[in-house]
Amino acid sequence: AWFKLQRLKAAVHYTVARICERLGEEHRREFSRQAVAAITETAVRQCDIFSKDLEAFARHAKRSTVSTEDVKLLARRSAALSIYIQNKVEELNQGQSLKK
Amino acid sequence: MAEDNSGEISFKKETVSKLLARFFKEDKTRLGGDAAVLMAEMLRIFVREAAVRSQKQAESEDCDQVDIEHFEKILPQLLLDF
Repeated sequence: AWFKLQRLKAAVHYTVARICERLGEEHRREFSRQAVAAITETAVRQCDIFSKDLEAFARHAKRSTVSTEDVKLLARRSAALSIYIQNKVEELNQGQSLKK
Repeated sequence: MAEDNSGEISFKKETVSKLLARFFKEDKTRLGGDAAVLMAEMLRIFVREAAVRSQKQAESEDCDQVDIEHFEKILPQLLLDF
């Protein structure tokens, strides 16, 4: 189980490094390896908090499957983030009605 | 890893979904497909926000490189915003 978490962390690190690399190029300010590693570590810890909140929200609604409604609740703290997530939900819903 | 059509670097849905599943307290808890897509997006925004804010911190200190102390300075507010 520990090994699997390490592999997932490595996958997260890969994408974090690419995001930092792109920003570094765009703004001519590169990220140190330690800074990238610290962002990865924080992102993984944030996932731990996210997932426990999502699970609690789902259970509060008597569900065992986390839905987009739970993610909307997770994004409530920042107005900008909340609006962004809301729009994404609508995009996903539209995509589904097109398939039907 | 996957890039969406806007050219943004994003996390794979499977990676995020497996990572979140690992942290659930109960085995029966599942993550819906659309919820997983949204969470991949949330994680991308979180990481991007961490990186952009660190970069601005480095800029304000006239540093050519973004280092761990720049990230540490923006961390408290970042966590309050998510």
